[in-house]
Amino acid sequence: MTDLATRATRVVAPARSRRRQLGGGPRARTVVAFLIPFFLPFVLFYLVPVGYALWQSFLVVRRTGGQYGTSYTTFGGFEQYTQVFQNAEFWASIGRIGLFGIVQVPVMLFVALIMALLLDTPLLKVKAFFRVTAFMPYAVPGVIAAIMWSYLYSPQLSPVVDLLKGAGLHPDFLGAGAVLWSAANVSTWLWTGYNMLIMFSALQSIPQELYEAAKIDGASNWTIAWRIKVPVIAPSIILTTVFSIIGTLQLYAEPAVLRQISSNISSTFTPNMLAYAVASGNNYQQAAAISVVIAVITFVLSFGFLRLTTKRAGL
Amino acid sequence: MSNTVTRVRLALVAAAASAVVLAGCSSPAPSDKASAASCTPAKGKVTLQYWNTVPGMDKVVALWNEKNPDIQVQTKNISNDQYGTLGNALKAGKAPELAQVGYDELPSLRTQNAFVDASACSAASAAKSKFVPWTWSQTSFGGTGVFALPQDTGPMALYVRSDIFKKHGLAIPKTWDEYAVDAQKLHKADPDLSITFFDPNNAEWFNGLLWQNNAEMYGYSGDKWHVTVESDQSKQVAEYWQKLISDKLVRTDLAHGSTQMYAAYQKDQIATYVGAAWGYSMFRDNLPKQAGKWTIVPMPTWGTNGASGDWGGSTVAFMKGNKHLHESVKFNTWLNTDPEALALENKLGGLYPAANAGLELPALSKGVPYYADEKIFDVFADSSKKIDTSFSWGPTQKTVNLALQDAMAKAAAGNGALTDALSAAQESALKSMKDQAIPAAAGK
Repeated sequence: MTDLATRATRVVAPARSRRRQLGGGPRARTVVAFLIPFFLPFVLFYLVPVGYALWQSFLVVRRTGGQYGTSYTTFGGFEQYTQVFQNAEFWASIGRIGLFGIVQVPVMLFVALIMALLLDTPLLKVKAFFRVTAFMPYAVPGVIAAIMWSYLYSPQLSPVVDLLKGAGLHPDFLGAGAVLWSAANVSTWLWTGYNMLIMFSALQSIPQELYEAAKIDGASNWTIAWRIKVPVIAPSIILTTVFSIIGTLQLYAEPAVLRQISSNISSTFTPNMLAYAVASGNNYQQAAAISVVIAVITFVLSFGFLRLTTKRAGL
Repeated sequence: MSNTVTRVRLALVAAAASAVVLAGCSSPAPSDKASAASCTPAKGKVTLQYWNTVPGMDKVVALWNEKNPDIQVQTKNISNDQYGTLGNALKAGKAPELAQVGYDELPSLRTQNAFVDASACSAASAAKSKFVPWTWSQTSFGGTGVFALPQDTGPMALYVRSDIFKKHGLAIPKTWDEYAVDAQKLHKADPDLSITFFDPNNAEWFNGLLWQNNAEMYGYSGDKWHVTVESDQSKQVAEYWQKLISDKLVRTDLAHGSTQMYAAYQKDQIATYVGAAWGYSMFRDNLPKQAGKWTIVPMPTWGTNGASGDWGGSTVAFMKGNKHLHESVKFNTWLNTDPEALALENKLGGLYPAANAGLELPALSKGVPYYADEKIFDVFADSSKKIDTSFSWGPTQKTVNLALQDAMAKAAAGNGALTDALSAAQESALKSMKDQAIPAAAGK
């Protein structure tokens, strides 16, 4: 470390020429040493599996010697992809998740934004307490959260259902029409605090001068919130949206847990559940193709959204 | 922004590159058939791996290890992800010598080349007479080899709340027709009371009901599978339950084994349970307050056909790469036919034995306090002998079960009928076999 520091001060003048010869020398070695802890696992546990899935998705199973003969895989071109695109269950799961995202993501982010803005006003006391409690659900693993909620949804066990019954209401949180929204509710509960925190930390970095200038110009708290705070933290809102789109497309834990108590969640409810069901039936090649298609859709949607918003906001 | 794009492009290039690298080392070429297994005893001490899902199995194995210093067995519990763990081990060429495999997964695993035929060992073939007939039929694939030895079974029977039946003046139903009449009477007398529940997410249970009606779903001849998931027999069962569901005489909102299910039984909302032998301890342990109120009687039958069904149970399979078949057969036979081993497995793991000797265990011929001191195991032993021996499972059973469940759930939600679920399962069976390049055709 000290070695690096002294060198840094010494090399100010010939920095340009140094940069050219990155291929060798002690500096390059330092760079490599710092990058390896990231790149090695990144390659081993990210790129290689992704590459493997990609490779698998182009294979098909063949068999010699009849039923219990030997099976082998061979290159099949786009055969697996053709099957994915022809699979009605796949498109149904995409549609379901699309509906989920269109409703759940805006609702969650709107609530997160309101909470972040409230935390940022002098109106709210005991901020630390609210910040922590709002963030707390994020500390609960998704599966545990879904199990907790499933007890609240279950007609046999839920005190909530019992209370509502007392009030003459008969909600069916696990019914065919409601179960998607019950899952959305779990996701919202889990992730709102997390998104709020990202927005809140962006709010914290707004220089006080801006508020002072606005006050002098006669702006109310309301105007400051909508005209200054929200536009300034727009990049964080966009970031949380992208995260949420990715999260939605990868939805698995919540519906998979609720499936234990509701037959209205099929084994192909979300694209990831479909991929899992196909893989558990030993059709790894098809599961790989499904995963690749989900990844491509995720890429297109998140980068498409980034493109669209950055262009419009001129960021 | 441009920074991100470059990074993504780089990632894609790297991914493509790694795919090319991997291409060089995957997909083994078709190899010739596994050479015939040999049954030569090993020289010196042998250690066998036995992966299973049975609670307390380590204690049973400890008993063996004590007596057999030259054939030591190591157990590993894989109940977390039984078939995932086995599948991965097989892929990596590191499968154990012996592993627990459910009857319904035998054809699927054999299709993946997971087993070795132990018939080279005369002791393995000779074990045939020691097991309940249908179990041997499935582990030997209709007598074409010895790929596993049966361990336990789940002969089905009807659990009845005798107090509720008495209260409403009903006799124990002997046929499914009588059962449907009782369902109506109970529901009429008390709208909160149902005769039983239908769990749409439990294909294994439904398969047991199909089995009872001799609805053979798969056959194998002429080098291809014949898929008959949709048959007159299976439709009869589906239509029967569909009627109970449509008339709202059975609950469809309870998952088998869930807290919710026990809560419903606890609240006296359900009067019977169509279950297997291993279910006896579930009720005893989860509903202690209902001790003495339950009785176990034979499954209602289909007209004059007195057959019963099986739900669950498993085998101990000889896995691919097993180099100690002689020793494996010795241990496997002891594990699944020795009265001492069977008694311990029954006590610790709740296993209901597949061996004939097991049906006569002292523990299984006594009255059971929870069930009003009735000899409930006599009912299961009787059921066990009345199970169709020609029933067989398909090579893509798991996929078919999922398709069946998804469609049964739709039917239970009022969207389609259970007969549609049979069509969906039939279609799924044919498609999944095609995906795996398994020759198959619809019909007999």
